[in-house]
Amino acid sequence: MQSESAMYRTPRIRVVVCDGNDYTRALLLERIAGIAGCMPETHASMASVNPHGFGASDSILVLNHQAHQPEPFALILEVKQYAPDTPVIIITSPAAPLRSMKAFQASSRSVDRIFSKPLDLDEFASDLAARVSQLDAQRTLNDDHLNLLRFLPTGALRRIFANPAAGNAELFEMTVMFTDIRDSSRLIMQQSARTYFAGLNAILAAQARHIRIHDGMVIKTTGDGLLAVFEGAARCHLALKCAAAIQKASLIGGIALGIGLSDGPVLTGILGSTEHLHFDVIGSHVHLAARLCGSALPGEILATAEMANRARIDVGLRTMQESIQVRGFDAPVPCIHIQPSVQEPS
Amino acid sequence: MKTKFSDQQLSTILDQSLIYQCACPAQVAKHLIELRDLYAFQQSCLNQTETDTAVHQRIASSAEGAHDTLEECLEAVLMLENWDMKTLRMPSTLQKTLRAI
Repeated sequence: MQSESAMYRTPRIRVVVCDGNDYTRALLLERIAGIAGCMPETHASMASVNPHGFGASDSILVLNHQAHQPEPFALILEVKQYAPDTPVIIITSPAAPLRSMKAFQASSRSVDRIFSKPLDLDEFASDLAARVSQLDAQRTLNDDHLNLLRFLPTGALRRIFANPAAGNAELFEMTVMFTDIRDSSRLIMQQSARTYFAGLNAILAAQARHIRIHDGMVIKTTGDGLLAVFEGAARCHLALKCAAAIQKASLIGGIALGIGLSDGPVLTGILGSTEHLHFDVIGSHVHLAARLCGSALPGEILATAEMANRARIDVGLRTMQESIQVRGFDAPVPCIHIQPSVQEPS
Repeated sequence: MKTKFSDQQLSTILDQSLIYQCACPAQVAKHLIELRDLYAFQQSCLNQTETDTAVHQRIASSAEGAHDTLEECLEAVLMLENWDMKTLRMPSTLQKTLRAI
């Protein structure tokens, strides 16, 4: 018996059924359509199955082989070559066709299950349901892994993770970026907490994608924003380009953000105890980037002049120089207010 | 072993019906294929003693007899169910009524 959550879960595993007989194809489809999580897709001919249309952990191939048809070995091999994780289930006649399929299975390891005709439909459906469930779980893991990748270290930072002990820290030259949603208190009051949370999650996920695309690393979320770092020779360039991309996307989406950028030596390491460990970055440039983020106007990037000059980027941004007195710093810090335009420069 | 239906024809019957629930001729076809396998296996067995020879002959003979009986049965069942004896197509009236999907 299926659990309620299984019954109502969104179908997302494609089951590609290839069967040249209209009647038996309909029989299979009827049964497969009743399996939770399945999106059945039928083909009357092997020729119409696109072997390159199978992705990682998203599809299953069910092939009901008819005695008068050519053997489906080429199609199976191509599917497995392109998407090795795709389960391949074959239904075939006993005797010679079955022996031939078993020999192919043994030599190629490309067939995951063979059913002999006449088919025990309950056994078939049970096997398929288990595979759908397994793929669905694998796909969830893959999604989680991708989400986790946004937080994983880049470049030299991997050294820190190679020794994940509390107190393990190293000094790196980095560009630090803080983002923050402006006027978030008003947004919270205008909608339910659940709706706001969902919206916030989407905004931060979009920012994390931009950061990853620009070879940056998200260190943590900070309520309504993110802390990210960029390293390497092109870090200033990539960070400013990333900040501009985030601002442009946010302006188009009607969300006002402030972004602060600073560049310099930053201590990175593992903080905490054995009960709770987390990766963090510490230093005056982290502090400075946070302050600049707080001072940035809605839609603005506020960067140190030194960092902006190193970025060597001209993407049609409207800029204004100013020395700003930042709390905790003795002298005013030369900064540049950058307001990216939504339109790309011609 | 004399046969009325070739392996290919038996496979065609199996292809037509696919599942156990609506496939009495297919079940017979399946057992015929198995009996042919059993007979062939006994024929190919190496005889090391006289007892072995007698055992294999006895099994092959019984398999052949059972095969003849079941093959006659299959022919009769197909005619009873009005299958097309040339193409071995299952009559549409026998097909399971499918729910609208």
